[in-house]
Amino acid sequence: MSALPFHRRHGTRLALRYLIALVLVVIFVFPVYWLFIISFKTPDEIFASPPVWYPQSIQFANYRVLFKDGDAATVGNSLILASVSTFFAMILGTMAAYSLARFKTGGENLAVWIISQRMMPPVAIVFPLFLLYVWLGWVDTYFGLILLYTAFSLPYVIWMMRGYIEDIPLELEESALVDGCTRWEVLWKVVLPMARSGLFATAVFTFIFAWNDFLFALVLTRTEVTTYTVQVTHYFGGQSNFWAKIAAMSVLGTIPVFFTVAVMQRYLVRGISMGAVKG
Amino acid sequence: MSDLKITKLHKHYGAFHAVKGIDLDVPEGEFTVLVGPSGCGKSTLLRTIAGLEEASSGKVEIGGRDVTWARPRDRDIAMVFQNYALYPYLNVKDNIAFGLRARKFAEPEVERRVTRAAEMLGIAHLLARFPRELSGGQRQRVAIGRAIVRDAILYLFDEPLSNLDAQLRDDMRVEIKRLHQEMGRTMIYVTHDQIEAMTLADRIVLLRDGMIEQQGSPLDLFERPATRFVAGFLGSPKMNFIPATATASGVKLTDGTELALPAARPLKPGQAVVLGLRPQYIAMAGPTLAPGHARVPVTIELVQPTGSRVQATMPLGGTSIVAELAAHDVSRPGEKTEIDIDMTRAVIIDPETEKVL
Amino acid sequence: MTAKALHPDRNFKYWLIAPAIFLLLLIGLFPLFYSLVVSFMRIDMMDTDTSFAGLYNYKNLFTDDRLWWSLAHTLLITVIALPIELVLGLAMAYLFLERMPGRQVFIALLVLPTIISPIVAGATWRLMFDNKYGPINQIISWVWGERVNALWTINPSLVYPAIIFCEVWQWTPFMFLILLAALSNVDKSQTEAAEIDGASFFRTFRYIVLPAIWPVMAIAILIRGLDLFRIFDIIWALTQGGPGTRTETISIYTYVQGFKQFETSYTAAIAFLVILLLTVICTWAIRRMGLVK
Repeated sequence: MSALPFHRRHGTRLALRYLIALVLVVIFVFPVYWLFIISFKTPDEIFASPPVWYPQSIQFANYRVLFKDGDAATVGNSLILASVSTFFAMILGTMAAYSLARFKTGGENLAVWIISQRMMPPVAIVFPLFLLYVWLGWVDTYFGLILLYTAFSLPYVIWMMRGYIEDIPLELEESALVDGCTRWEVLWKVVLPMARSGLFATAVFTFIFAWNDFLFALVLTRTEVTTYTVQVTHYFGGQSNFWAKIAAMSVLGTIPVFFTVAVMQRYLVRGISMGAVKG
Repeated sequence: MSDLKITKLHKHYGAFHAVKGIDLDVPEGEFTVLVGPSGCGKSTLLRTIAGLEEASSGKVEIGGRDVTWARPRDRDIAMVFQNYALYPYLNVKDNIAFGLRARKFAEPEVERRVTRAAEMLGIAHLLARFPRELSGGQRQRVAIGRAIVRDAILYLFDEPLSNLDAQLRDDMRVEIKRLHQEMGRTMIYVTHDQIEAMTLADRIVLLRDGMIEQQGSPLDLFERPATRFVAGFLGSPKMNFIPATATASGVKLTDGTELALPAARPLKPGQAVVLGLRPQYIAMAGPTLAPGHARVPVTIELVQPTGSRVQATMPLGGTSIVAELAAHDVSRPGEKTEIDIDMTRAVIIDPETEKVL
Repeated sequence: MTAKALHPDRNFKYWLIAPAIFLLLLIGLFPLFYSLVVSFMRIDMMDTDTSFAGLYNYKNLFTDDRLWWSLAHTLLITVIALPIELVLGLAMAYLFLERMPGRQVFIALLVLPTIISPIVAGATWRLMFDNKYGPINQIISWVWGERVNALWTINPSLVYPAIIFCEVWQWTPFMFLILLAALSNVDKSQTEAAEIDGASFFRTFRYIVLPAIWPVMAIAILIRGLDLFRIFDIIWALTQGGPGTRTETISIYTYVQGFKQFETSYTAAIAFLVILLLTVICTWAIRRMGLVK
């Protein structure tokens, strides 16, 4: 009695799952589609009611304006700030993580203090930092923001890398020590290759955190190192918005992240699950 | 000159005292085996020699040089680890070459040595493979290869065979013995397996609770154990221990059996002792009683064949003893028979001090 | 003793961690210390009085209705959005747990909202919610049968649904991904044994699946809870805290006090309150969730 209905129901169940999956994809992807599509629309198409669901032709005028006015350079700023700070955060963070994982430096207390830094709300530290930066002349400089992003990413990098390093068999490092490596060489020749996938996953997330930052950039940049997130908000108006620019700028700022995630995909899936398990 | 000299070495982990004042002198070219039950401090001792653990006090000299506070890389040692410690991201060749490259050897020299080591170990055809593509035995050979390409004063082995199955373990034991004969280098080998210790060692150092219980040649320790612990640890099947009382000419068991001891021992008649008999020195009663032997009637309880030999269990002196007998003259369980005990090899132990008298 | 002190690796572990600690102290501890000092003074746009003012600023916190309302707004968003994200994410994770053709493509598409910047997510929904040219009102009009002209980011009774919709849209995929990974790791033989024993789906979930995924789920909840407590970008893009102060969260309010009103000392006091609250809530949550043994 029960075996047959099960088999008959199997097909319907799969169809139902597909239906739900499709509805979900439409709901979650449509806004992204809308953002992209507006960036290719002409003003007439943007300001049409009822809205134009798909444009008749793709045109790049909205992007051309951004490049002509120099607004697109803010994406370059974001790219510099996020990649340089990720680079430094990975180096300093991995070193610190190795120290914590292998030598238990400072005991569990130091490790907990470091992760607690991550809970610090940006808005609570940005104000005193702003005053410090004004005094030091670091406002609106690459150096100032890179320093800030590096420091702000450190707890995450240290926490993640500590987990990955603890998974490396100690014997590999000891063997390298006996074979004639210095401590630094062990870090470079054994630990880094062994933690490679974790290193990549952590780097991508660190990059995305810095890339997505809005508040720090809003407060600590003026004109020189404005990031793309701040630039997008410049097109918001009280009465009317520069829709074409908002959309085009957002797309410009989204593409590098889509690209990075697509390339690094296989490391990320493991990174998410392992990182989550380890906390 | 000795290649390794350890003086009054102590190692504490917090309140735990792992190594308690060890003195050890290993001459050049000797194969020394550190053996003992788990937790005896043998691995800690080896790791302290390697510089992977820091000594709490005492002195370690390698090749006449004080290296107590030297880094592992400055000690001129090579080491084979229990879990092989192969780098999964390097192929066999690069794994073996790792130590040479870390020491900035010229590439032609690296090539020459790797090839030679690989040939010695019969893994020349595996050089391009990665560790995950190798069997357990092959991985073990690569791990050994990584140590022997180096020109070290001291070669350390930390239970290298414990992860292999029984058959492979026997093969690799022969291999390691052969390597030692060919290279003639000083090797220190840690194991908990007394058979490995007996077969490989020029000298066995038996450790217990962080101290050296006894050291000497395998035969020395087997024939002349200093304590009950040594007597019980070495040899398979284990030595039989029978409670007894000393008499004027020998010992008397609890069931009244009297056994004469051929050589004089420092025993006071009436003193409580433990008689130690190796299963190998008990045989079925022959046509004549050899000098120094004692003949005893027994009833065989249990028979475990191991091929050409059998292990027979029988009650004697209020306890149960094991004898290793030739397979062809063993009777069925329950049979009454007689055995000859070689009393020249008997060990008499003081039950108070556990020392051999 | 001297030989020991000269051991070349002796200070290695400190050299490794020193630069990171230095940066964390500069960026983490300095602001904390500065806020503490300044919060006991009376510095604002007009006045740079650096003399000790005692608890003046802290007393003001208690009578500042706008502050407590902003806190209430923050909590409102958190307690509504977080459970929705959790339940929806879990349901989605179950939907994609079993193999089906094209599963990887579906997952990749569903993750898109999470990897775009929050400020862009806000901007996107600003476009979506536009009363005249946005697709949301158009779709509702079709369903309703006549032209609807809802002012999503202006109408006081619609701003919260708009914000929460946007927030849920962006972060449910995050929950989904983490819970999918956790569910995949649940020992299959256990759930199968329960199935053979005739346990219902909810019973199996409650007694077998939930305990297995809880460590991961607890961390996901903690991460999202923390992020929701400091929510800024999405609201800044959608409403800037408006209409009036209707959607002002604690982060927005602190920003306004510091950078629009230049109430230096008072902002420092608020920042301190926020840090204090967060520490208390986090410690409580971590204990409560059993994340610390």
